[in-house]
Amino acid sequence: MQPRRHEDTKKKYKRSSSCLRAFVVTFAFVFSWLRFSFAPAGQQRILLLAVAAEIAVFSAIAQNFFTAANFFEVMRFSVELGLLALALTPIIITGGIDLSIGSMMGLAAVLFGAASRDWHLPVPAAAAIALAAGLAGGALNATLVAGLSIPPLIVTLGSLSLFRGMAEGMTHAAVNYSGFPERFLFLGQGHLWGTVPAQLPIFVAAVIGYFVLLHKSIVGRAWYAIGSSAAGARYAGIAVSRRLGLAYILSGVIASVAAIIYVAHLGQARSDAGAGYELDAITAVVLGGASVFGGRGTLSGTLLGLFAMSILQNGLHLAALPSELTGVLTGTLLVATIAADRWRVRRSMTVADHEQGEISVRNSQVAILCATILAGAFIVAGTNVWLSRSVAPSARVASDAAPPAAGRRPVIAMMPKAKGDPYFVSCRAGADEAAKELGVELIWDGPTSLDAAKQNELVENWITRQVDVIAVAVENRAAISTVLRKARDRGIRVLTWDADAEPDARDYFVNQATAEGIGNTLTDEAARLLGGRGEFAIITGALSAANQNEWIAFIRKRLAEKFPDLTLATIRPSDDDRDKAFAETQTILKVYPAVKLMMAISAPAVPGSAEAVRQAGRRDVKVIGLSLPNINKPYVHDGIVQTVVLWNTRDLGYLSVYAGSLLTQNKLQAGARSMQAGRLGTLEVRGSEIVLGPPLMFTKANIDRFDF
Amino acid sequence: MRALTRVTFTLAAGEVHALVGENGAGKSTLIKVITGAETPDAGTLAIAGHAVTRMDPALSRSLGIRAIYQQPSLFPHLTVAENVALALESGRAWRRVDWGARTRTAAALLERIGAPLDPDRLVESLSMPEQQIVEIAKAIGANAKILIMDEPTASLSAREVDYLFAVITRLRGEGTGVVYISHRLEEVFTVADRITVLRDGEVIATSPRADLDRAELIRLMVGRELAAVFPKRAVPLGPVALDVRHLRSRDAGLDDISLDVRRGEILGLAGLVGSGRTELAETIFGLRSIDGGEVLVNGARARIGSPADAIALGIGYVPEDRRQHGVILEMSIAENASLANLDGVSTRGLIDTRAERETAEQYVSQLRIKTASVTSDVGSLSGGNQQKVALARWLAIHPSVLMLDEPTQGVDVGSKAEIHAIMQSLAERGVAILMISSELPEVLGMSDRIAVMHGGTIVGVLSREEATQQKILAMALERDPAAGVLPLG
Amino acid sequence: MRAKALKRYRREVSVAIAIGALALVLAVAAPGYFSAENLSDLFLANMPVLVVALGATLVILAGEIDISVGSVFAICGVVAGITAKLGMPVTAAALAACAVGGLLGALNGVLVAYLHIPSIVVTLATMVALRDALRWSTQGAWIENLPRSFQWLGLTQASYPFVTFGGVATLTLMLAWTLRHLAAGRAIYATGSNPDAARLAGLHVALAKSSVFVVAGMLTGLAALLNSVRFNQIPSNAGVGLEMKVIASVVVGGAAITGGRGTILGTVLGVVLLGAIGPALTFLGVSAYWERAIQGGIILASVTVDAVRARAKRNVPQLATTT
Repeated sequence: MQPRRHEDTKKKYKRSSSCLRAFVVTFAFVFSWLRFSFAPAGQQRILLLAVAAEIAVFSAIAQNFFTAANFFEVMRFSVELGLLALALTPIIITGGIDLSIGSMMGLAAVLFGAASRDWHLPVPAAAAIALAAGLAGGALNATLVAGLSIPPLIVTLGSLSLFRGMAEGMTHAAVNYSGFPERFLFLGQGHLWGTVPAQLPIFVAAVIGYFVLLHKSIVGRAWYAIGSSAAGARYAGIAVSRRLGLAYILSGVIASVAAIIYVAHLGQARSDAGAGYELDAITAVVLGGASVFGGRGTLSGTLLGLFAMSILQNGLHLAALPSELTGVLTGTLLVATIAADRWRVRRSMTVADHEQGEISVRNSQVAILCATILAGAFIVAGTNVWLSRSVAPSARVASDAAPPAAGRRPVIAMMPKAKGDPYFVSCRAGADEAAKELGVELIWDGPTSLDAAKQNELVENWITRQVDVIAVAVENRAAISTVLRKARDRGIRVLTWDADAEPDARDYFVNQATAEGIGNTLTDEAARLLGGRGEFAIITGALSAANQNEWIAFIRKRLAEKFPDLTLATIRPSDDDRDKAFAETQTILKVYPAVKLMMAISAPAVPGSAEAVRQAGRRDVKVIGLSLPNINKPYVHDGIVQTVVLWNTRDLGYLSVYAGSLLTQNKLQAGARSMQAGRLGTLEVRGSEIVLGPPLMFTKANIDRFDF
Repeated sequence: MRALTRVTFTLAAGEVHALVGENGAGKSTLIKVITGAETPDAGTLAIAGHAVTRMDPALSRSLGIRAIYQQPSLFPHLTVAENVALALESGRAWRRVDWGARTRTAAALLERIGAPLDPDRLVESLSMPEQQIVEIAKAIGANAKILIMDEPTASLSAREVDYLFAVITRLRGEGTGVVYISHRLEEVFTVADRITVLRDGEVIATSPRADLDRAELIRLMVGRELAAVFPKRAVPLGPVALDVRHLRSRDAGLDDISLDVRRGEILGLAGLVGSGRTELAETIFGLRSIDGGEVLVNGARARIGSPADAIALGIGYVPEDRRQHGVILEMSIAENASLANLDGVSTRGLIDTRAERETAEQYVSQLRIKTASVTSDVGSLSGGNQQKVALARWLAIHPSVLMLDEPTQGVDVGSKAEIHAIMQSLAERGVAILMISSELPEVLGMSDRIAVMHGGTIVGVLSREEATQQKILAMALERDPAAGVLPLG
Repeated sequence: MRAKALKRYRREVSVAIAIGALALVLAVAAPGYFSAENLSDLFLANMPVLVVALGATLVILAGEIDISVGSVFAICGVVAGITAKLGMPVTAAALAACAVGGLLGALNGVLVAYLHIPSIVVTLATMVALRDALRWSTQGAWIENLPRSFQWLGLTQASYPFVTFGGVATLTLMLAWTLRHLAAGRAIYATGSNPDAARLAGLHVALAKSSVFVVAGMLTGLAALLNSVRFNQIPSNAGVGLEMKVIASVVVGGAAITGGRGTILGTVLGVVLLGAIGPALTFLGVSAYWERAIQGGIILASVTVDAVRARAKRNVPQLATTT
C-alpha cells in the first residue's frame, strides 16, 4: 500500500512541474497585462512589486511554494474572500463600505444548511433560499444607504450585528449542518481535470462579470461618477440611489454565493461562517489602490491585493513561519503601499510639473521602494534560513520521501484549534519537550481564532510542504476530514488530538477524554457539591463552539438520567473572554438567586466566573469548570473554585508528538495494544485511539503540583 | 512652467486695488502667496514696511490679512456666531471661550452690515448668499488691514453687490487696503482705485482706473482685441419647445409659474438671488418635486420625476455650481462629456470607449476646449474649459431645450465670448435656450426675451427691444422688497 | 431658547427617551435590575467602553475614525500588568498604560494627519498588526500573580466603584466642558466640520487630528488599566470587538460619522443604552442567542428613525446641502 501511494505522489508532482511552466507563462502574462494594458496607478505598481518580492522570497525559503499545485491551492482558499472583495470593490468606489458581508455569509450559510438538512429541500432550492436571503439583506442595506442616505458605515455596522445575530438566534448558535450530498461537496472540494479547483470557474465568472460591470458598462461608470461626486452624478441624470442600491444588493447576493461555496468547501454550515471576513476583504480592496473616499479603484487592483494577502499567508505557512506574522506584515504592507504612493504623488506634484521630470522621479522612487521591500524581505528570509539551518541542517532536502530518509529529522506539524488560547499554549510546552527529547522538528501553527476554514488551509499548506506527520486538534469534524484524507493519500501520517476527525481520515486519535466523560464528570461533581439537588448555570465559550455544545448535550443527558432534582437554570456565552464571563456571572447571580453553582466550561471563563462570585461575596455559590490550573490557583486556594476538571494538557502535547514520532519510524503498527511514551510510560491503545488517561480533578489538595 | 514670474504688486492703505486676468493668469497663486498658503521660490513680501521672511496662514492672520473666497469657507455644523468668532479670535488653545461675547460680537457685526441673521443659527441651514454675508461679517469684524476679495459677488445679485460696494467704500474710508478680484469688469470699474492686469503669471500693467477703458482693459487681459459686443443675431423662431403652465412646487418655493421658450429662442431669466430662478430650472429638470401645474415639451405633456426623465425628453441643464454639479472633476473629459449620454455611446449597456472618445474629441475641437487629451481629468482644466465640458455633456444629447444657469460665472473673458458664440450657434440650430444670469449686460445682450422673477414667481416678461437694466431691476424689486431677497436693510 | 436647545439636542433627547422606556419596562418586569449592586456592576462592566468611547467621540468629531482601540486596549492591559509585576507602584502602571496608549495613538495620528492616509485604513492596519504582534509576543499567555496592591488600585473592592465613578464622571464632565468651552475643543469641532476652512482660519488641523488620536489612545490605556485592576490576572486577548461596541455607542449617541457634530452627553447616553440592554435581556428572560440581533436592530432603528425624521422636516432637498 505504502509504495503505491508514494508513486502516486511522485506522478502528481511530475505533472505539476509541467503545469509549472504553463503557470509561469500565465503569471508573466497577467503581470504584463496589469502593467501595460492597464497602466496601473501608482499604488498598484508598488503593490505589484510587493507581490513579486513575496513570490521571490517565498520561492527561495518556502518548500514547494513555486508549484502549480500550490498555486491552485492558493486560488481555492482565496475564492470566498475573493468573492467578498469583488462585491466590496464597487461599493468602495462609490465611497461607501459594507461591513455586513461576513455576517451575511453566516446567515446565508445557516439558511442553506437548514433548508437542505432540516427542510429536506434539494440543493438548488436551498441555494435559491440562501441567495434570496442575500438579496433581502442587500436590499435592507440598499434601502437605508441609498434610499434614506444614512452613512453606510453605520448602516452596515448595524446589519453586521443583525445578520450574525439572526444566524445565531435561528440555530441557537449550536446547530452544525453537515452531511451534504457528495455532488454538492465537489463544488468546494473537487478538482476539474485533475488540477483546477472546482470553485475556481465560479470565481473567474464572477471576476469577469464584475469586470464587465465595473469597467465596461454604464452601471460601472455611474458607480465611479457617484464616488467622485454624488451630486454631480445626479445633475448628469444618473439614477444615483438606484445605482448605489444595486451595489449593496449585489454585495448581499455575492456574499450568499460565497457562503454556498464555503459550505461546499468545508462540508458544514454554522452561524460563525465568514466571521471577520469583512475586514480582510476591505484590506484586499484598499491594498489594491481603491480610495475609501470613493471614485478610485479597479478590479485588477482588488485581485492584486487579494493575491498579495493570500500569497503572504500561504508563503508564511509553507516557510513554517508563525501565522501571527500575517497580520503584522499585512498591516505594514497596507500602510506602506499607501504611504509610498502618497509620498510619490506629493513629490511628483511639487518637484516636477512636466511629464519628463515626473517620470524620472517615479522611476527612481520605484527603484528605491523595490530595493527597500526586497531588503526587508531578505532580512526576514535571511533570519529564517539562518534559523532553519541552526535548527535543522538538512531541512531543505525534504522534497520527495514520505518515510524520511535516514539522517533527516522527521517534521511533525501540529495544529491547535486556536493559537492564543492558554489551553493550547500549555499543550505546546509538552510538545516542545517531546520534540527536543526525540530530536524531531516541530512546526506549531494554527488559526489565531477558532476558524475551521483556516485549519483546512493550513493542512493543505502542510501537505504542499510535505511534512511527515500532521497532528490536528480538530475544530470541525466534517470539514477537516477531507483534507486529512488527502494528506494520508500523499503518504503523510495523520494524528488527531484534543478532538477527533472521522476515523478513516487519520491514523490515530490521541484521546485525552471523551465528551461524554467530561460531561459526566462535570455533572457528577456538580451533583456532589450541591448534594444532588438545586440549580446551577453554565457559562460556555462562544455560543457556536462545537466542543462545548457537545459537552452541554451530555450534561443535559446525564441530568435527565441520574439527577432529576438538579436544574440547569441558564446557559450564557462568554466568547472565551474572561471579562464577559465575569459580567455574565454577575447578572446570573442576581437574576437567578437560586443558582448555587456556576459551571464554566471554557478556560478563560472559570477565573472570570470565580472573580464575579468572589466580588459578589456569595460564599454560598460554588464554581467548577474546565480550565487550566495556573490561572485558577488563587481561586482554588480561596475556596471559591472547588474543582477544575482537566487532563494534563502538557502531557497531551507531549504524547501527541511522541505518537507522531513513533508513526514515522513505523513503530506504531495497526493493531497495537499499547505504546511506550517516554516519561509517561506505557499507555493503552484502544483500536485507533491512544488514551491519555482519566481526567484530572484539580482541587486545593493537588493543584500546586501542576504548572501549566 | 511657473505660476508667477517676477510679480510686483503694491497695495496702499485705503485703496481698492483690482486684480484682473483670465483664469490661470496667476491671481489665485498671488493671493495664496500673500495669505501664506503657498511659499514663493524667490522674492520679498513686506507688510506695513516690515519684511516677512516666511509667511504662513496664522502669521498672515495676525498681520491683519483676511481673504474672502468665491466658495464660502464656513463650518456647516457650527453656529453663525462661532463661525465669525473662529475667524476673529486668536490666542492659546486652552483659553476659555466666552459664548456671550461671541454672540454679541456676531450680532453687532451683522447689524453693522445690516443683515440681521440669528447668530445662533447653524450655518448648514443658511442659503448661499446668507453664507456670503457671514463671510463678509468675518472679514469686517477682523478689522482687516488688508482685505482680499476673490470673486465675492459670484453668487450675489445686483442689489447685494451694491450693498457690498457700500461696505467696501466704508472700509476704504477707514484705511483698509482692499484687493478686489473679479471677472465682472463693470464692478472693477465701479469700485477700484487702481487696476493690475495679470497674464500668464506676469504683471502686464498697473494703472489708475481713470487711465483705462473697458476695451483697453480687455485687450491687456487677453493680449488681443476682442469684440465687446455680444454675438447675438436674430434667428427665425420655431414652435414652442418648452411650455410651463401654472407650475407650483413647495419644495422649490415656486408659485404659479408660466413661461414658454420657442425653438431658436434665448429666454433670459433675470431676478435677484433667492427669487427662485435656479429652483425653477431644477424643478423643470426633475431635481425637485412638482406640486401643481404642468410642463409641456415639444407640445406634449411631460411627466418629469427625475433628471433621467428630463434628459429623455431632450432637456439639458448646465447648473450654476460648476465644480460641485456641472462636471465631475475626478473624471476625464471624455467620461464627463458622455455622462448624460451613456446610452448613446453604448450597446446593450456596454460602453464603446472608442466611440466615447471620438465623440468627446469632436466636442473638444468644436468648442475649442484647451487640453492635451480627452483622457485628462476635468479638474486639471481652467474654469472656462470646465464650463465648455459641462456644455459638451448636454450637446451630446442633442437637446431641444437647454437650460444654462450662470453660464459664464467665474469664466475668463475669452472663454466667455466663446460660450456666448456657442449659445448663438445652438439657437441657430433650433435649440430653445433658457439662460439664467445675474449679469445684466449678458441678459440684455444675449436674450430674445427676458423673464423677471421675484419671490418664486414670474413678475413680467420683457422683449429684447423694451428691456433696459433699469426696467429689469425695477421689476425684480417690484413687490415687497423684503420677500425673497436677502434682508439687507 | 428652550425649544432651540431641545432641537439642537434632539438626538440626545430621543436616546434618553429610549433609555427611559427601557427603564420603565424593567421597573415593571424586573425591579431587581435597579438594585444598587446591579447598577454598580453595570457601571464597572461598561466603564471601559465609556472611557474608550470618550476618546472615540473626539476622533469622530474631528472627522476621523479609530478601529484599532480593541488591540490598543489589549496591549495597554498587558503593559500595565508587566509594569506592576516588575514591582512598580500602581501609579507607574497607570502611567505606562496611558503612555503606551498615547504612543500607539500617536502612530495612528501621524499616519492620518501628516501622511494623509485615510484613518479607517490606518487603524484597520494597526488593528490587525498590533493584535497579531501582541499574540506573537505573549504566545497567548496571561499575566498572572499580580501583586496584591495592583488589584483595586490599592483600594478596597467596596471603595473602588465609588472612586472610579467619581473619577470617570469628573473626566467625562471635564471633557464635555473642554469641548464646549475651551478653544481647543472648538478647534476639534471646526476641524471635523470643514478641515479646509479650519486651515484658512489659522487652526492647526494636522495637530488637532493627531492630538485626538493621542488622547483617544491615552484614554484607551486608562480604560485598560481601570479594567485590569478589577481582576488579579490580565488576559492577552482582551478587547476583541471593542471597536464595534464603541463606535456603535458613539453613533447611537448622535455623533455624525463625517465629523463636526456630536456631544459627550450623547456618547454617554449611547453607552448607557447599549450597555444596559444586554443584561436587561437576561433580566427579562430573553434567550442569549437573539441578543446580537436585537442590538443590531436597535442601531438600525435609531439611525433610521433619525433619518426619516430629518427627511420629513427638511424642506430644502438634500442636494442643496450636499457638498
